[in-house]
Amino acid sequence: MKSINEIKKIANNYIVRRIVAYIFLMFLTATITFFIFRLMPGNPVEAYLRSMEQRFPQYFETRAGMELSQKYKEMFGLQGSIFHQYFCFLRNIVKGTFGPSLLTFPEPAEKLILQALPWTIGLLGISTIIAWLLGVLVGVFIGWKRESKVSTFTAWLALVVSQMPQYFLAIILVFVFAYTLYLLPGTGAFNPLLKPGFYPEFIFDVIKHATLPALSIILVTAAGWIISSRSLVITILNEDYLIFAEAKGLKPGTILRNYVMKNVLPPQITGLAISLGFIVNGAYVVEWIFNYPGIGRLMAIAVGLRDYSVMQGVMLLSIFGVLTANLIVDLILPLIDPRVRRG
Amino acid sequence: MKKAYVDRNLIAGSIIIAFIIFLAVFQPWLNKLIIGGHNPMTASFFGRYEPPSLKHLLGTDYVCRDVLALLLLGLKSSLLVGVVAGTLSTLMGIIVGFIAGYKGGIVDSILIGTTDTFLVIPSFPILLTLSAYVKKLDVFSMGVILMIFSWPFSARVIRSRVMSFKNAGYIELAKLNNMSDLEIIFLEILPNIVPFLGVGFGQSVVASMLAATGLEVIGLGLSGVITLGTMINNAIGTGALSMGQWNIVFPPIIVLMMVFIGVQLINMGLESTFNPRLRR
Amino acid sequence: MEIVRIEDLKIYYKLIDGVAKAVDGVSIKVYPNEILGIAGESGSGKTTMVNGLVRLVKPPAYIAGGSITVNYGENGIPKEVNLLRISENEMRNLRWSFISYIPQASMNSLNPLLRVKDQMMDVIRERSNKSKEEALTLLPELLKRVNLSPQVLDMYPHELSGGMKQRTIIAMALALSPKIVIADEPTTALDVVSQLSVLSTLYDVCRKSKTSLVLITHDMAVHAQLTDRVAIMYAGKIVEVGRTADVFKSPIHPYTKGLIASIPTIENGGKRLEGISGIAPSPKNWPTGCRFHPRCPKATDKCRGAEPSMVEYEEGHFVACFHPEVKK
Repeated sequence: MKSINEIKKIANNYIVRRIVAYIFLMFLTATITFFIFRLMPGNPVEAYLRSMEQRFPQYFETRAGMELSQKYKEMFGLQGSIFHQYFCFLRNIVKGTFGPSLLTFPEPAEKLILQALPWTIGLLGISTIIAWLLGVLVGVFIGWKRESKVSTFTAWLALVVSQMPQYFLAIILVFVFAYTLYLLPGTGAFNPLLKPGFYPEFIFDVIKHATLPALSIILVTAAGWIISSRSLVITILNEDYLIFAEAKGLKPGTILRNYVMKNVLPPQITGLAISLGFIVNGAYVVEWIFNYPGIGRLMAIAVGLRDYSVMQGVMLLSIFGVLTANLIVDLILPLIDPRVRRG
Repeated sequence: MKKAYVDRNLIAGSIIIAFIIFLAVFQPWLNKLIIGGHNPMTASFFGRYEPPSLKHLLGTDYVCRDVLALLLLGLKSSLLVGVVAGTLSTLMGIIVGFIAGYKGGIVDSILIGTTDTFLVIPSFPILLTLSAYVKKLDVFSMGVILMIFSWPFSARVIRSRVMSFKNAGYIELAKLNNMSDLEIIFLEILPNIVPFLGVGFGQSVVASMLAATGLEVIGLGLSGVITLGTMINNAIGTGALSMGQWNIVFPPIIVLMMVFIGVQLINMGLESTFNPRLRR
Repeated sequence: MEIVRIEDLKIYYKLIDGVAKAVDGVSIKVYPNEILGIAGESGSGKTTMVNGLVRLVKPPAYIAGGSITVNYGENGIPKEVNLLRISENEMRNLRWSFISYIPQASMNSLNPLLRVKDQMMDVIRERSNKSKEEALTLLPELLKRVNLSPQVLDMYPHELSGGMKQRTIIAMALALSPKIVIADEPTTALDVVSQLSVLSTLYDVCRKSKTSLVLITHDMAVHAQLTDRVAIMYAGKIVEVGRTADVFKSPIHPYTKGLIASIPTIENGGKRLEGISGIAPSPKNWPTGCRFHPRCPKATDKCRGAEPSMVEYEEGHFVACFHPEVKK
C-alpha cells in the first residue's frame, strides 16, 4: 500500500500530469463533438425518417415498419435516451467506428476515412517535412548572412508568401503548369488507368500527381519556417554567449554548428512536431482544387451532403491528431532542451 | 527638428488599400460605366466565354456575365464579410484581452487557457461543420462563424499590451488619484492600445476574407451572393481553369492578393514606425 | 616594453539622431604581468573601449580612428601588429591564445545548451590538435585554479550558481594561457560574498600565471585593493593614469579626487560622503573644452575653451587638467 507522499509524488510527475490532461481533453473533445452533432438541425437521417413516417404512417405503425425505423436509428446511433446514445458513441469511438456514411451507404464511414487517410498523410507528411528542412536551412542561412541583398529580399518575399493561403499558390501553379504548359497533371492522385500497386511506374505516377499540390503546400509552409528561423538566428546572434564564442576565436563554422544551430533546433523541432499533428487535418482547399482523394476533400464533400458520420469521424480524427502531437511534444521536450529537465 | 519618417511600405500599402476601398464604395457607379447599371449576376445564353474585348474588359463567363462587373460586386461582398467578421473578432478580442490583462489572476488564467485552446484546435474542420449548421448562410452568420476562430489573435496582443501597460505603473498612479476603474480604462489604457487595434483589425479582416474565400472555393459559402471565392469556385467547377481561361480565373485571385499584400505592407510600415529599431 | 599600445582610439555609435562619441581619443599602454584598472562612471566609455580592444565592436558602433598595437612576440623578440588592421583570420589566431575576455554579466556568456566541458574544450581543440580525451584531461586543472570541482564539467549552465558561472568563465579565459585577460565588471551582478571570492580568484590566478589583467570596474575600492596601475576615464577620454598607490595617495584631477572621496570607509565613521555634483554628460553632446568643466569646482574660462592634454607630474603619473592639485 503506497503512502500518501508517494502517491503525491507520482501525481506531480510531469509525465503523469500530461497524460492525464491528454485523456481528459480527448474525452472532452468527444463529448463536445457528440453534442454538436446531436444539436445540429438538418440531420438528414432523422429528416428522412420523419418524412417517411409522415408519408406512410400505416407502414411505420406495423411491426416491420417500426423495426426498420429502429434499425436505421441504431445504425446511426440515434435511438434510445441521450445517455444511451452518448455511451454508444463513446464505445464506438474506442472501437473506431463512426456509423454508416451517407456517401456510400451502407459502407461504414471509417472505411472511407481509412481510404482517404494514406493519401493525406503521404502528401502532407512529406510536404511538411520537406518544407521544414528547406525553411530552416534557408532561414538560418539568411539570418547568418543578413547583410546581403539576397537575404533581405528573400526575407521580404518569405514574409509575404508565408501569409498567403495555400490555395492561392495552388491555383496559380495548376493554371501555369497543368493547363498552360501541360507539364504536370492537375487532378487526382494517380492515373485511373493504371492499376494501383507497388511497382515503379505507379509510384512515379503518384509522385507526378502529387507534385503540384505538394509544391503549393511546401512553398507557403517553408516561407513560414524561413521567417521564424531567421528571426531566431538574429536573436541568437545578439545573445551574450554568441559574442563570447566570437571572443574565444572559434571558427565561424563551429559557431554556426554548436552555438547557432544548436539553439535554433529545439524550438523548430517542437514546431515541426506540432505541424505534423496537423497533418490529419488535411489541406482542404488544396485537395479540393486538385481533386486529391484525401481527408480534406472527403470532409468537404461530406459537409456538402451533411454526412454526419463522416464529419464526426474526420473532426474527431483531426482534434485527436493535434492533441496527440501536443502530448508527444510535451514528452520529448525534456530530451532536446536540457533546461526543461526538472522532475 | 526630427524628420518626419513615413515608411515606404506604409505608403505603398495605403495606396493599394485606398484603391480597393474606392472600388468597393464606388461599385454602383462603376457598374453603370461597365454594363449600364444592370445586375451583373443575370445569366443569359448569348455570348458565353467571350474573350476580353472593349465591350467586356475581362470577357464573359459561362453564363455570359461580364467578368469585370462581377469582380467588383464580388469584391464588395467579400470585403463586407471580411469587415463584419473582422469587426466582431476585434471587438471580442479586445473585450477578452482587456479583461484578462487588466484583472489578472484567476480570471486571466481561465481566459488565456480558453484563448490558447482556440488557437491550438484546427479551425477548418470546425468551420466547415458550423457552416453546415446554419441552413441559409448570410453575411452576418458567416461573420459570426469566422469570428470564432480569429478572435484569439487580437485577444493575445491586447492582453499583452494591457499587461505591460499595467506593470508600467500608470495604473497605480491613477488609482492613487482616486480614478474609478472605468475612468482608468478609458482615459489611460485605451489611448495607448489604439495603434495595436488598427493593426489587429486589418489582420482580422484579411484573415476572415481568406478563410471565407477558402470556404467558398470548396462550395460552402454564402448563398445567392457572388463573392471572390465563389467566382473562383465557379471557375474551377465550370472548367474555366482547365481551359486556360485566365481572364476568369485570375482576376479574383489578383484582387484578393492586392487586399492581402496591401494590408501586409501597411502592417510592416506601422511596425517600422512604432518600433524604430526595425528601420533600415 | 608594453604588450598593448592603444593610440588615440575613437569608437563612435551611429544613432538615428546623431553620433555618440563613446570613446573619443583614448591612449593607454598595458605592460606585461601587471594589473591595470580602468575606472569611471557608467557611460564613460570603459566597456566600449575594451570591446574595441578585442575587436568585438558591433553596429551601430564603429571604429572611427586610432590604432591598437599588440606585441605578441615571445622571448624578447617583439612581433607587433595593429589589431584594427589585420584580417579576421589573423585576429582569430590571436583571440584567446594572446588576449581573452570576460564580458560584463558573463553569466549569460555560457551556451545554455552545451555542457560546461564541451564549452571549455571547443577552443582548446580548435587551437591544438588534441583529441577529445586529451583535451578533457586538461579541464579539471583549469577548474581547480578557480576553486571549482570537476563535477561542474558535466553540468549545464543553468545548474550552476551565478558565482560558479563567473568562475567557469574565468577558468575558460585562462585555458590557453593568454598574455592578457580583460575583465569587464566581473562582479557587478553578484552578491557580496561571491564578489570577494571571484576577485581574489582572479587576482591569484593572474599573478600566478604572470598574466596581465585589465580590470574594468566603477568600484574604486576594488581598484585600490587589486590593481598595480589605474586609469580614470571620463566622457570618453582618460583623465588620469598612474600607479595605484600614487593615484590614491595624491589624486591630481578633480574628478579622481571626487571618485576617491566617495568611497565609504569604516574609519570615516560619521563623516558625510561626498559625491560629485552634476550628472554625467551625454556622448552625443560632450561639453566643450575640458569635458569635466560643468561639474568641476575649479572650472575657469580656460577649461571651457580648450581640451587639456596629458602631462606627466611624477613618474608614470599622467593627468589631463588645467588646474591640477599637485602636492609638493
